[in-house]
Amino acid sequence: MKAKIRIKKLIYHILVIAFGFVMIYPVLWMISGSFKDNAEILRGSLSLIPKNFKLANYTTGWSGFSGISFARFFLNSFVITAVATLGTVISSSLVAYAFARVEFKGRKFWFTCMLATMMLPGQVIMIPSFLIWYKLGLADSYVPLILPYFCGQAFFIYQMMQFMKGIPKELDEAATIDGCSKYAIYANIILPLLKPSIVTTVIIQFYWKWDDYMGPLLYLSKPESYTASLAIKMFADAASKTDYGAMFAMSTLSLIPVFLIFLIFNRYLVEGIGTSGLKG
Amino acid sequence: MSKNTEKTSVISRFLNKDQTVGNIFAFPFIFGFVCFSFIPIITSFYYAFTDYSMGSKTATYIGAANFIKLLHDEIFIKSLGITLKYVLISVPLKLAFALLIAFVLTRKSRMVTVYRSLYYVPSLVGGSVAVALVWKQLFARKGLFNSVLAGLGLSTVNWFGDTKLALYPLILMTVWQFGSSMIIFAAGLKEIPTMYYEAARIDGAGAWQMFKSITIPCLSPIILYNLVMQTIQAFMAFTQAFVITGGGPNNGTMMYALNVYNQAFKYNHMGYACAMSWFMLVVMSIITLMIFKSSKFWVFGEGDDE
Amino acid sequence: MKKMLATLLTATMLFGLTACGTTAPAADTNTPAEDTAAVVEDAGSDTTDAVTETTTADSDEPVTLRMAWWGSQTRHDITVEVIEMYEKEHPNVKIEYEFYDFDSYFTKLKTLVASDQVWDIFQLGGNFPEYIDKIYYMNEFIDSGVVDTSKISNAYLKITQDTDGNQIGLSNGLNTYGIAYDVDMFNEAGVALPTENWTWDDFEKAALTIAEKTGHFGSSGFTSSEFIAGCSTFIGQQGKVGEYGFFNLDLTGMGFTDAQMLTPYIEMRANLIKNGASPDAGAEMEITNIENDFLVTGEAAMTWVAVNQFPTIYDICAQEGRHLALATVPRVKADGPAGSVIQSSQMLCVSQDSQYKEEAAKFISWFQNSTDCNNVLKGERGIPINDDVRKALEAEATDGQKIMYDYVSLVGTFETPEKINVLSPAGQDEVVDNYRNYIQQVVSGEITASEAADKTYADAEKLFK
Repeated sequence: MKAKIRIKKLIYHILVIAFGFVMIYPVLWMISGSFKDNAEILRGSLSLIPKNFKLANYTTGWSGFSGISFARFFLNSFVITAVATLGTVISSSLVAYAFARVEFKGRKFWFTCMLATMMLPGQVIMIPSFLIWYKLGLADSYVPLILPYFCGQAFFIYQMMQFMKGIPKELDEAATIDGCSKYAIYANIILPLLKPSIVTTVIIQFYWKWDDYMGPLLYLSKPESYTASLAIKMFADAASKTDYGAMFAMSTLSLIPVFLIFLIFNRYLVEGIGTSGLKG
Repeated sequence: MSKNTEKTSVISRFLNKDQTVGNIFAFPFIFGFVCFSFIPIITSFYYAFTDYSMGSKTATYIGAANFIKLLHDEIFIKSLGITLKYVLISVPLKLAFALLIAFVLTRKSRMVTVYRSLYYVPSLVGGSVAVALVWKQLFARKGLFNSVLAGLGLSTVNWFGDTKLALYPLILMTVWQFGSSMIIFAAGLKEIPTMYYEAARIDGAGAWQMFKSITIPCLSPIILYNLVMQTIQAFMAFTQAFVITGGGPNNGTMMYALNVYNQAFKYNHMGYACAMSWFMLVVMSIITLMIFKSSKFWVFGEGDDE
Repeated sequence: MKKMLATLLTATMLFGLTACGTTAPAADTNTPAEDTAAVVEDAGSDTTDAVTETTTADSDEPVTLRMAWWGSQTRHDITVEVIEMYEKEHPNVKIEYEFYDFDSYFTKLKTLVASDQVWDIFQLGGNFPEYIDKIYYMNEFIDSGVVDTSKISNAYLKITQDTDGNQIGLSNGLNTYGIAYDVDMFNEAGVALPTENWTWDDFEKAALTIAEKTGHFGSSGFTSSEFIAGCSTFIGQQGKVGEYGFFNLDLTGMGFTDAQMLTPYIEMRANLIKNGASPDAGAEMEITNIENDFLVTGEAAMTWVAVNQFPTIYDICAQEGRHLALATVPRVKADGPAGSVIQSSQMLCVSQDSQYKEEAAKFISWFQNSTDCNNVLKGERGIPINDDVRKALEAEATDGQKIMYDYVSLVGTFETPEKINVLSPAGQDEVVDNYRNYIQQVVSGEITASEAADKTYADAEKLFK
């Protein structure tokens, strides 16, 4: 009996690992590519072991462009991303609370507007958006990359709304009877119970912002203010040479922060089902 | 003194009115929308009726000409079909996959963290050049997929050379990056109170039964959320086609968002691109509305506050 | 409860404050933006009075120029090096530079066009007609001697002029199209090597024979340049020199009237693909860039190149003991027009939005003419137009570069029409993309070559409506 369970467990683990390997194979290929030279990368070798192990990709990549190293680019990315993620969590939870829990005029209207903002391709609103920031005199700064994140992000507002639906209304009602205001309910009841949603928001938003390349391209002009995403893109010039090795090396390094964020926050999503949920 | 308390109570009553509370909490969004989104959206709507191109600075009003042109544009009509196909196949697959993996990986085990990380990693590389290269090589004429087919004694497939097949590698890439849906599901699963399961177990319910009558209903608001968001995002999918196929062969992977990009940036028909976008906005709104309407029948707790 | 509310509100307000606080560092990146905004407005009022502008620019007042380019890591490093060199020589001039990859560069440029703040000095390639409103012609600076053209031949000035003689910019590098080929693969298949005036028939036969004998592609890489290098040149080769062109000289319409003139070319293209002598759509998609073109990977005998790409692939193949050479673009008739001309790969232009147009022109002149500067640049952007600089570089050229220099001189000897049009109309990309799809449709049998010719002609004509 015990042996049977153990075999079953073993099969489960083998299957999950095997499938996991297939899943991350392309990522492993990228990492191994960061030790290959251009020719080997381009000759379509799908092997994960580099023929000539080449560390130089990391040094040439790290040296960056015209004396500005990737240390700077990563730092810029980190500042922008951390602040924008913080902004997203705060603002989205506030707005989600209004939309999910408060009966007020215009609620449906604003909700519709919010969904509509997701349905227009960035390309068609790019220039008008840029002109607004330009007229405000903020076009060449971090403000356009950060401020909108303090105004709520549709994707996460809606997510938090759905999670709030899972929180029984009875709790609000009980709190209201106890004399709690809506503000207090948000702070003391909703926010703590929203933790899983907040955690996913942090994980996803951090990655999206980290990876965002269009925003930094439009709003940053000085090479020393470029982000890692923009700098990595610069290894691939359509009109001249592409240094794939250096690009893969920096892409690999760029994975580390987002992966760390995932590892740190993922813990909150696994520590047993329902442990932080409602216990009656 | 009493006047003062009266005053504060008036203020406090005002502050606690639902209308005020709603507006205060929604303020970040309303502010952001009015200041940063509204004008660009309206501008793009205006451009849809002009011949605006980004190189020049003049936009001449041309009435509904752009919209009329849309209806005769073979490539647009083709792209519409391709986009719908892409949405219809990739969204259900991705969600089913994300839910399955999220569910499998809720077992209490130390390894779960490791496994979940493994499955999440693909979502962290997005449309990077490395992934584009791997994908091309996997589906190349002499690539891995064809080697496997040949090894099995089957005939090989020219994936990117066939207008009808080229979309599937792109769909596979989308499904492969199911990580963010997965962790949202995982968060949702975590919210389901354990006592529901305990009660069901006492009643003698099987695993499947519990999944069907506890997990799915409790998770349904999150399923709805993922469905709506993934559908919208699939409509807007751009990167896959842009980095791998560039829309080819013979426009076989010309997805709507790539078409907009080409018209706006490559061909300099910004006005036309805007018209296309607004047409698609209507299409997407209708589909989203349909999903919302249907949700009353299958989403737990949906519609009781409507 | 009230207390809690109060704390909450303060907390939210604090969040609001931190939001502002964190953006504070941006304040200093922000000031220059406002400066440039002011500059742009000034420029608006100044343009009417170009004379005063010229006189003030001569003094030692501090001047800040903005400059941008696209390119690779090497290009960024050496360009910044020469900028610093220039700043040292001209202490009153400060150059703020930006650099990007090709795609990003043009996205960024579009936003600057919209906000009237295009960089004072900017780099443009073949797609410049789109930005013509933002280009300040350099004629007056050449006339006044601010821009030194004494060492630049007229022919090389012309490659960045429109047909009215307006100097759009100064070319950073000469370029032209050719066909790179693998000498051994030709020999292996027993096919005669291309001659200076080989024809499209020779080309087609060679490709088909090589495919049949070696199992490799006869010709690969019909990439985007094929439309200009092949299809469009094919029209220019018809009749007498300068009789036809794909577009007319003023870019107001087509340069030929019979759409069917395109048919033989399209037919040949489709025929090569059908017979496996040229990659089909699927195989073509496997080519990421010139470095993994089938010629370079040893799976094809020929490919189309812009000749500045040649040294790179020559070196890669030489390392593997293979030998590449450059052939001219085939002709319609062996004794007919060659159709190919020397072009500019890219150029530096002065912006309409610039407040210091003369200073910008001065820099461009230095950039093209200074030997010190070009000792650093080393022709990385292409074959220099300045005679002295070019000779110096030629002297130390590698084998692959020598072939490129010889080839460019050869094309320079071909008889060219008196007036050539270096411009292509805005929106040409759409015609090219559609054209490539039509060829695939001809291959799959959906349409005939003659229908494809009609469609391509109609698409091109539509650009002028």
